[in-house]
Amino acid sequence: MHPFDEIKSDRLLERLESFVLEAAGAARARISPLQRMSGGAVQQNWAVDAELTGGPLAGNQRWVLRMDAPASVAESLTRNEEFRVLKAMQEADVLAPRPLWSCEDGRVMGRPFFIMQRLPGIAAGHKLARDASLVPDRSRLARELALNLARIHSVEPQHPALGFLKTALARDNVAHYRSYLDTLDESHPVLEWGLRWCETHAPEREDVTFIHRDYRTGNYLVDNGKLIGTLDWEFAGYGNPLEDVGWLFAKCWRFGQHRYPVGGVADAEDFLREYEAASGRHVDAAALVYWQVMAHLRWAVIALQQRERHRSGIEPSLELALTGHLISDLELEILELTTKKS
Amino acid sequence: MNNLPGAPDLLRIARDTLLSELRSRVPEDARYALAMVANAMAIAAREAEAGDAPTVAALARLDALYGRPRRDLAGAALHQAIAEYDRELTGDIRAGHFDESDARHDALMSHLHASVAARLSISNPKSLET
Repeated sequence: MHPFDEIKSDRLLERLESFVLEAAGAARARISPLQRMSGGAVQQNWAVDAELTGGPLAGNQRWVLRMDAPASVAESLTRNEEFRVLKAMQEADVLAPRPLWSCEDGRVMGRPFFIMQRLPGIAAGHKLARDASLVPDRSRLARELALNLARIHSVEPQHPALGFLKTALARDNVAHYRSYLDTLDESHPVLEWGLRWCETHAPEREDVTFIHRDYRTGNYLVDNGKLIGTLDWEFAGYGNPLEDVGWLFAKCWRFGQHRYPVGGVADAEDFLREYEAASGRHVDAAALVYWQVMAHLRWAVIALQQRERHRSGIEPSLELALTGHLISDLELEILELTTKKS
Repeated sequence: MNNLPGAPDLLRIARDTLLSELRSRVPEDARYALAMVANAMAIAAREAEAGDAPTVAALARLDALYGRPRRDLAGAALHQAIAEYDRELTGDIRAGHFDESDARHDALMSHLHASVAARLSISNPKSLET
């Protein structure tokens, strides 16, 4: 049976209803068949519409059920860890879906999952970057993205509920990407050059905060031109907050709209002014270039991993195969950024 | 020799047919997959057309970069030689042998630029237009 069909089965829906009934302290829970939501090759998101009678959440509820895809990626957080991250973000006033319950009991859905609030709005990066009517006020979105990121970065390391998060600073990232390249049967001189450059240009000292590690257009929701929530927390950890800024600015995440350095949707100045004011942290031009080089290296490593999933036969897929062909574009940007006279 | 249409020609005409005759009959939710198929066919056509030429050029640059006698290789031996050079180059870059701003460094950078350009001319030639 196809894994998606199983998730829609009546028996599974009944088990989910009993779980929700108990978790929500409701007298009755009726759940309509789950609908697969777009996005997430690694995580599966299902739209859940529930009707609860009794309890604090009585009424109609719109949720997202998030669970691992059958082949999960070792590097990301577990669903329960991601759930705890969302709780911590809620306490820090970060715009993100409100987490409701986490379930690690495989008997309910077959795999661990959690349920969170379903927010309105559009996340699709190519739409937000290309349809100007979705972002009527670019300066406002830039400021909202900046303030929200500053709040994410206000969470300090050693948060009592987030002991499972790993810390990786600039040099750790370089070592990590090199160790991945060493597992491949071919060499990548351009990526090696970028990694060497990041090693010799690594900052002397770095701030360490909680970071999202995938804060980019495509991973936040915009509704009526306004930032509503940040999605996809599975790569979160502790690190240099400027890593998130570089990732958001990186050319590879502008969906072709290079006029707007901030994720293809907004101007750099609007974002940086607000981020610096809200975080009290200066973002100098060299650091911004540095973390954009790192962003392209990271994306290239991910693209290689995706290509390998196809090539190894584990998951034959045209989309994954074509991802391998993105690498030369990332390499071009790495060369351009590292050969600029500074 | 025969005069049958070869791989680049077949892939191009198959792709044109896909886009001109079949695309409009494919439901909206399958258009993305169709666009990926068309993209894959374009990449394959460019690769078949380029043949060994980019690899031959890379070998010449690497022989020059390392000051070694120029070799004329083809087929598996050519690809083997490039794989070995890439491994050597990778080790040297990582060890910092190209850190100094000197002629060797400049030769490395121009080789890297040329190899990225060669790959882009197959993977995504639009990126080379600007």
